Amino acid sequence: MAPDDPTADDSADSADRTTATGAAPATDATTTATRRTLLRRTGAISGALALAGCLGFGGGGDDNGEEDGKESDGETTDAGGDYGGRQPTVTVEDPPNAVFLPTHREAMRVEEPVTAGEFRFVPMLSYPHPFWTIAGSDDAAVERETPEVGRGVHMMITVQDRETGLVVPVDDGIQFRVRSDGERVGSPVSPWAMLSQEMGFHFGDNVGLPGDGTYEVEVTIPPLSVRRTGALAGRGEERVTGTFEFEYDDEFRHQVIDGIDYLERNRRGERGALEPMGAGADGGDGSGESDGDGNAGHASEMDHAHVPYATVPAVDAYAGTRLVGGASAGGAPSAGADGEATAADELPRSDDAPIVAVLFEADADESDLARLAGDENRAQNPAQYLLVSPRTPYNRVPLPDAALTASTERDGELVAEYELEQTLDSEYGHHYGVVVSGTGSDTSDSESSSAIRSGDSVIVSVDSPPQVARHQGYETAFLEMEAVTFEVPDGAEGGDTEN
Amino acid sequence: MTLPDRSALSRRAYVRALVAVGGGAALSACLDVTRDGDDTDPVPSGTDDPDSLPARQHAWNEFSSRDEDGNVQLPAHHALVPVSLASGAGDADADTEAGAAAESDSATAPSEDARRTTETALRTLERAYEWSPEGLVFTLGYTPAYFDRFEGSLPDSVDLPAPEALTAREDPAFDEFDALLHLASDRPDVVLAAEEGLFGDRDELNGTDLETDLTGVFDRHDDRRRTGFVGAGLPASKTDVPGVPESVPEDAPFLMGFRSGFARTQASEDRVTIDAGPFAGGTTQHVSSMDIQLDVWFGQDNHHQRVSKLFSPTHAADELVGEVGDELADTSGVTDDGIASAEAAAREHGVVGHAQKAAQAREDGNPPLLRRDFSTVDGDRPGQHFLALQRGIGEFVRVREAMTGADLDVSSANNGILHYLFVNRRGNYLLPPRSLRALPPAAPNS
Ligand code: HEM
Repeated sequence: MAPDDPTADDSADSADRTTATGAAPATDATTTATRRTLLRRTGAISGALALAGCLGFGGGGDDNGEEDGKESDGETTDAGGDYGGRQPTVTVEDPPNAVFLPTHREAMRVEEPVTAGEFRFVPMLSYPHPFWTIAGSDDAAVERETPEVGRGVHMMITVQDRETGLVVPVDDGIQFRVRSDGERVGSPVSPWAMLSQEMGFHFGDNVGLPGDGTYEVEVTIPPLSVRRTGALAGRGEERVTGTFEFEYDDEFRHQVIDGIDYLERNRRGERGALEPMGAGADGGDGSGESDGDGNAGHASEMDHAHVPYATVPAVDAYAGTRLVGGASAGGAPSAGADGEATAADELPRSDDAPIVAVLFEADADESDLARLAGDENRAQNPAQYLLVSPRTPYNRVPLPDAALTASTERDGELVAEYELEQTLDSEYGHHYGVVVSGTGSDTSDSESSSAIRSGDSVIVSVDSPPQVARHQGYETAFLEMEAVTFEVPDGAEGGDTEN
Repeated sequence: MTLPDRSALSRRAYVRALVAVGGGAALSACLDVTRDGDDTDPVPSGTDDPDSLPARQHAWNEFSSRDEDGNVQLPAHHALVPVSLASGAGDADADTEAGAAAESDSATAPSEDARRTTETALRTLERAYEWSPEGLVFTLGYTPAYFDRFEGSLPDSVDLPAPEALTAREDPAFDEFDALLHLASDRPDVVLAAEEGLFGDRDELNGTDLETDLTGVFDRHDDRRRTGFVGAGLPASKTDVPGVPESVPEDAPFLMGFRSGFARTQASEDRVTIDAGPFAGGTTQHVSSMDIQLDVWFGQDNHHQRVSKLFSPTHAADELVGEVGDELADTSGVTDDGIASAEAAAREHGVVGHAQKAAQAREDGNPPLLRRDFSTVDGDRPGQHFLALQRGIGEFVRVREAMTGADLDVSSANNGILHYLFVNRRGNYLLPPRSLRALPPAAPNS
């Protein structure tokens, strides 16, 4: 047993940032108190796995939701369900309004990659997890999902384009259909687009299972509707399916519970993030949190090396002119959790999300510009492309499904405003972008040209924050995102030529 | 077919389960429980005078009660009975006349006999039961596949394409049998009895002698039979079914927990009626059957999120809806502003409402669809049979495209309710006017 196993009684430690509910209920009835009032509404959960109540297990869960006046009349069994109550039930009590270290590293079973048309996906399975769903930007738009019963799995996939290797970080309606002996199990499932520190961007949900056995999951990946550029243009236009099988049994449960690696108590809730899965094995790139406590053996216990992890390029990997972030409007600047400054620390942050803004121009970055502007804009002779990439701190995971607007100001006057379009580029991956000016529409020497030029300010505002569900450690960040102002440095020529 | 276990279920759940099973044994079991329950009122009987009945099969509204806000109350219990012409119902003479074309796909035109039998059987239903939800309302609709057997094609005034997938994420099966009988009543025993009267071995219905039945004309497709319910309290009585969470609100009329089908968000019957050609007075019907991931909807989203996704983010922020829609009167509360701002809502709130999107397909402010959809637990899992009437199927397709909202800048999970629905089947039907409801040719009077 891990020395820090929170199922051991640690209630004596009052200064601790975490609470342990001990071994009793599998449900986590502990309120996560954060600034976000909604997170106080812990009761509003009736359990994703309510299905289970009808199948003869469960019912031991705490169900005193304010929206749920009725008592479950399901059969009561061991409150711990199949996992014996050993799922982590600890929460970080007063987490910062920023990315923070969760209580533990997850353990999971990674299945063999499955080919589905132009995609490949890697299935991953763990015990049912709490996570947070987001539908909007205000407090009430966030809801904590707490699995109610301890039978079933947290089912995840990471989807990758086979040709470019890009991890697909947006959802167009992926579906899971679970079967057992050819019989359907439960309703089809639309997994949530999710962010986790260890797995990065993935799709997942808690899925109730009626009991031990072999299950088959058919995964449907519909055509991508997100804008794609470069080698990704024209890919992913077909609906495809792929199937995997897994065993749900004692061995599985032991694997995903025994592999859990608890962080030292005083680290939980600290600003920082766990390293991506597999980073320990292949050395990673050092941007992750380098946690000293016992991660040896963690990554090697299960083969995580082949799990693709969605990252966006490091800030200096972009060609083009990097716009210089002004004072970060959202959140205090922070060094890495380990106290070491990383490149990302220079970036302005909005609710703890570093934001990169790069301008690509016809003279300097011709091939990037042509690729990013895409075929659809070729006719207007694109002269500039503005790329904006918000990402998680520490791990550089893209933050998809937000709505971003960029406005340019010159001498304090608004010059132009652009809705940025979410885009997947084969080179630079996920970003929000716009073709700013074309020689077709702008006269290059006009004073009022809307082309971005040195001295201009570019203000990136977040109309709505990334609408992706969050695993622990990300649920208080990237929500109330304030605008960030960038300055265009000397050397950016804009539509103006040398004179 | 096995009957549900009476001892394991509440009365309401048991009756629902009986309707789902169907058949004579289910009917007598249903009568047994309803007899000692509160449904002992006699069912009002119908009329001997067919001319006193409306010319439209879909004329239900004026015979239905309305709630205090003037919204039409749909019948509570529904059965959709798919049928195909029985081999004996073909017209041997017509077959030889029609020649090779008809023979090659082996579907023959129906005989005059079959037509007469059908009409007689339906008139018997109308004699047995009052044309109203207290009695029985029904329609008989025909698929494009049915009309394929005729030499002529449907007139241009009828817009009835073969069903197809309407979104990129779905891969539905299609209703390719000949016809669909939709039976609806507030009384579950009436829905069962009517079907038994047409296809089973009964010789009377509600005190009316049965002269004939449809067994020689149509074969039923039992595996495609569908049932459902709508009305406050019914969904909450289904929590015995796996996947229907305890948290379905007590007063919700639909499984997804909210009222729907308001007087001002529904098309009138006039609006959906075909107004020209031989089928004038008829309408078209789309039926899609879908699973709902209801445990996620209630378990992982909160009320605020559900209202945002079903109505609009403004409805959620301003608390316009109430627990199950009780704050709404005769409209969904989607305003012209709300419709116009769907795109802005998507960007600014990161979520856009289903009602807000669907309303974008209104024409001059008028909704083109008359929705008569209902919830279901067929196959012991939660779902919806989405049944809508419109003048032409093209109008349905247009509204469904608005619901897809492909142009909206919003994540899939927050794009209305798409994340929760899984379409399994689609079917398109012509509901001819009553005068042509019995096995109509594709081109009447030609
Ligand atoms: C389980 C599935 C569905 C549920 C629970 C549902 C629920 C609702 C609700 C609550 C409203 C707002 C209240 C009202 O105006 O009636 C609404 C409106 C509407 N829905 Fe649905 N709906 C479902 C599926 C569909 C489908 C498949 C369509 C097909 C296109 C559709 C079309 C519409 C239309 C046309 C409106 C009215 C828009 C207007 O005001 O003009 N719905 N629905």
